[in-house]
Amino acid sequence: MKNSTQEPLTLALPKGRLTDQVQELFASLGLGFEFENRKLVARDRENRLKIFLVKNSDLPTYVNHGIAGMGVCGDDVLFEAGTPFCRLKTFSFGGTRMCIAGKKGDRFAPADPALTVATKFTEFTRSYFHKRGLPVEVIKLNGSVELAPVLGLSRYIVDLVETGNTLKANNLEVFDKLADIKVHLIANPAYYKIHYKRINQLVDILSKGDPDE
Amino acid sequence: MAVQNGKFLQLPQGTEGIHLEEALRHRRLTRKLNDLFTSWGFLPVKTPVFDFYDNYRDLLKTPGEENLYRLMDREGDLLLLRSDVTLFLARQMGLYLNRNDLPARVSYADTILRHQNREDISKNEFFQTGVELIGVEGYEGDMEILLLLDQTLSLLDVSAFLHLGSRNLFRQMVPEDRETPALREALASRNRRALKEELTLYHPPHTARLFSSLLLFIGSPGEFRQKLTGDELKNHPELVAAGSYLLKLTEGLQTLGGEREIRIDLSEIGSQPYHTGIVFQVYCEGVDSAVVSGGRYDRLLENFGLSAPSVGFSLLLRKIEALLPPPAEAEESLNRVTVEENEFNETEETRFTLRFRRAEELRKKGRNVSL
Repeated sequence: MKNSTQEPLTLALPKGRLTDQVQELFASLGLGFEFENRKLVARDRENRLKIFLVKNSDLPTYVNHGIAGMGVCGDDVLFEAGTPFCRLKTFSFGGTRMCIAGKKGDRFAPADPALTVATKFTEFTRSYFHKRGLPVEVIKLNGSVELAPVLGLSRYIVDLVETGNTLKANNLEVFDKLADIKVHLIANPAYYKIHYKRINQLVDILSKGDPDE
Repeated sequence: MAVQNGKFLQLPQGTEGIHLEEALRHRRLTRKLNDLFTSWGFLPVKTPVFDFYDNYRDLLKTPGEENLYRLMDREGDLLLLRSDVTLFLARQMGLYLNRNDLPARVSYADTILRHQNREDISKNEFFQTGVELIGVEGYEGDMEILLLLDQTLSLLDVSAFLHLGSRNLFRQMVPEDRETPALREALASRNRRALKEELTLYHPPHTARLFSSLLLFIGSPGEFRQKLTGDELKNHPELVAAGSYLLKLTEGLQTLGGEREIRIDLSEIGSQPYHTGIVFQVYCEGVDSAVVSGGRYDRLLENFGLSAPSVGFSLLLRKIEALLPPPAEAEESLNRVTVEENEFNETEETRFTLRFRRAEELRKKGRNVSL
């Protein structure tokens, strides 16, 4: 029987602040790793993990294709990808809120027959309103979503809100929270099945440093 | 050749072409598998490419339904393109077999057609090969199929892990009317908290906790035996009985089969609503989804007029082919007979005749030679 259990587990991390938080947690648990000289691939010191640094929205693609067996990813990105993954652990950090917002002084009118929303999160938005029986026109934007109500592209936006400072600076406000967004350790289901023992050990180690709620 | 552009550069979603060495490897592999299945007494069947949709309507309430291709014939009847051989085969068997023909052993190797997301080619699969044993219930039928699967995997020589589960065990924890999409989603994503919440809707909290941990269990037969004989299941003899049956199968496989790593995996509950007994999937190192799906479906054929138990498996061969080297024949077929130096001045006809005869001699010796 062929056996490749000595190969390191593969993990994709999203570029940005989340990776710093993961790096800090891993280091505190003896799984420290560093990306040297702008390299996008790293290994932990004991070669238990091979880690890829990828664009946040591409992460589900890498895990779905099994290029990275696991990944660290938020609900927002998972929802847009729509791919089934194992969700093995929810981290205590990186959480945020998906909110509907608009111009200060305006209000959210769900019964608005011409409900138009600009967002990066088109799948989430469409699904959220359709589940509530509300027809919605969704305009896809890739960034600077806050401009949409200011310039008159749409009355509302759906976006991630952490501090709300960007909204405030653009004279916008949150009308309602639509969902809590959490960060998970995900795995390709087939990859998990093959490596379940080592992955469960990793999850146990991570849960010691970052206990589940 | 005219330059093609736009959509003519690619095939429509849901189909593929296989070419040259790749096609040769596919054909060789299919033949080897067919020979194995035939040596076990399984005879080939060919299912129709499309059939009337209404025959399958009630059996298609699964998450993949939106990926089916449907079309309308000239009389206005809705047709379904073959998206899963098992279903089409069940109808064929229901039509053509009667109880006197049982047990029936059939094998198939057919293309399937279903929509695939243009931007997600990871799960593309357009070919299924497999077997069905109809009319043999219980241990006898389950063992025959599992042992044939074991030999199939040995023939393919890939690193493979058999994950064996039980629909019976699942059903004792989750009644049919409680099997909601949310519960299936929680189990598939191994979301322990969501699974426990779902189970708590109809079980006391301590039972929901026990069942959620059981449903997420993956382990060796030895580890599963410990679980079954532990204190936590002492008040659930029905679960212990269903679990012991899985152990009986693994013992049989270990005695009569190859040295394959078998895992008891109670999260394997079958992707189709028609599964009834054992369910299993096989995972291969380097492949991003299961390469074999199978199990028992004792009531599927009833839908097509034949009341007979059935068990089988379906192999997604193209996923496995990608792991294998090209067949030796592919390299050999590059061998060409050439014109010898002293034959250069001969006429075109003579040169051809000489090359043809030389090639024939080599072919008689079993070589693959092109002119």
